[in-house]
Amino acid sequence: MAERSLLNQLIDALRCLPGVGPKSAQRIAFHLLERDREGGARLARVMAAAMTGIRRCQRCRTFTENDLCGICASTKRETGSLCVVEQPSEVVAIEQATDFRGLYFVLGGRLSPLDGIGPDALGLDHLERRLCEESIAEIILAISPTVEGSATAQFIADCAARQGVKVSRIAHGVPLGGELEYLDGGTLALAFAGRRDL
Amino acid sequence: MARSEALFLAFVLHRRDYSDTSLLLEVFAVGEGRFPAIAKGARRKKSTASALLQPFQPLWLGATGRGEVRTLTRVEGAGAAIALRARALIGGFYLNELLMRLLGRNDPHDALFAFYQVALTALAEGQDLDTVLRQFELRLLDEIGYGMTLDRAASDGIPVRSDLSYVYDQELGVRLSGLSEPGLVLSGATLLALAAGEPLEAEQRREARSLLRIALAPHLGGKPLQSRELYRRWFGADG
Repeated sequence: MAERSLLNQLIDALRCLPGVGPKSAQRIAFHLLERDREGGARLARVMAAAMTGIRRCQRCRTFTENDLCGICASTKRETGSLCVVEQPSEVVAIEQATDFRGLYFVLGGRLSPLDGIGPDALGLDHLERRLCEESIAEIILAISPTVEGSATAQFIADCAARQGVKVSRIAHGVPLGGELEYLDGGTLALAFAGRRDL
Repeated sequence: MARSEALFLAFVLHRRDYSDTSLLLEVFAVGEGRFPAIAKGARRKKSTASALLQPFQPLWLGATGRGEVRTLTRVEGAGAAIALRARALIGGFYLNELLMRLLGRNDPHDALFAFYQVALTALAEGQDLDTVLRQFELRLLDEIGYGMTLDRAASDGIPVRSDLSYVYDQELGVRLSGLSEPGLVLSGATLLALAAGEPLEAEQRREARSLLRIALAPHLGGKPLQSRELYRRWFGADG
């Protein structure tokens, strides 16, 4: 049995971070104790506040400490288009890389019956209500092109069709700077099927 | 030096992320049956394995390891992925869920593998969902040792007649229905269509669905099938 000293508890607790195993956890613990106690204390304070204070946005389900996230609360966004993503991190990625200025909806996963993840776990009932209540003209699906992702996309497309909302999905194909030779067959076939006029 | 491994034809039944860069898979393969395997590094940026290691994509796989969980050494596509949409896609999930729940690990089921391929192809071609699923369920029960005789009465072996009514008893099998029989009453026509693998008509679909649901229940334990739930939520009706 390992001794349950405070140090061991700290190392153990650090292992909940992704990619941090026993060795890294020990290194981080010793670093904080030896060189950066102030940083460690600040981390603890912010972490505690964040874990209790951050909730899901009532409209788009991304993380926020308010009822509505910054994007949903903003008056400058185009309320007619809604981009559906799987994770909150993807909202950030799209915000940084594109000029999309509409609203978002964060699913938090994909439809996966074998994992017991159904429509309600992804807030799709909530999304359907939003389609009813708000004047959304277009839904843009930015969902990963896996089998579960396409099930999710089709489910949403069916919901949107019932409400008469236009649905598009982001293009799938050859990555920039990629070489065709090294592409997998499925992606290449999709890229071919989705070719566009120049 | 990597040992040269024999490749086997396989499908991924289920996958989930494992550590930062790998996938943990449940594989169904010719000569091997169902087994868990890790695809190391499949989620790295330059890897194309992640695109291939998906349900309904025929694969050639190589694997090492004797323990419970094997490690994939080679991944190649064995033709294009079987493209399933909407109802057919949930049908595909349903087949996978049944295999995950009913097949023991590391038991080869090559006849069932062939039938799984046939069923997926039929779903992709838009054949009647009920007919395809019921036929698969019958084959699956057969494979795990609970085959059902549907074209003869269990007690006397007299062939089932399409114009008579029957009941199915979990232990005894098919027998002629008496008057005001409790439980599920089936038309002989349904039983014969199921036994012959013929397309089912509307009323027959409902009967066949109930019959197979009763037959599968003891093997599924108490947990409901999630793909069935999804079908109900999506299309509003039973599947």
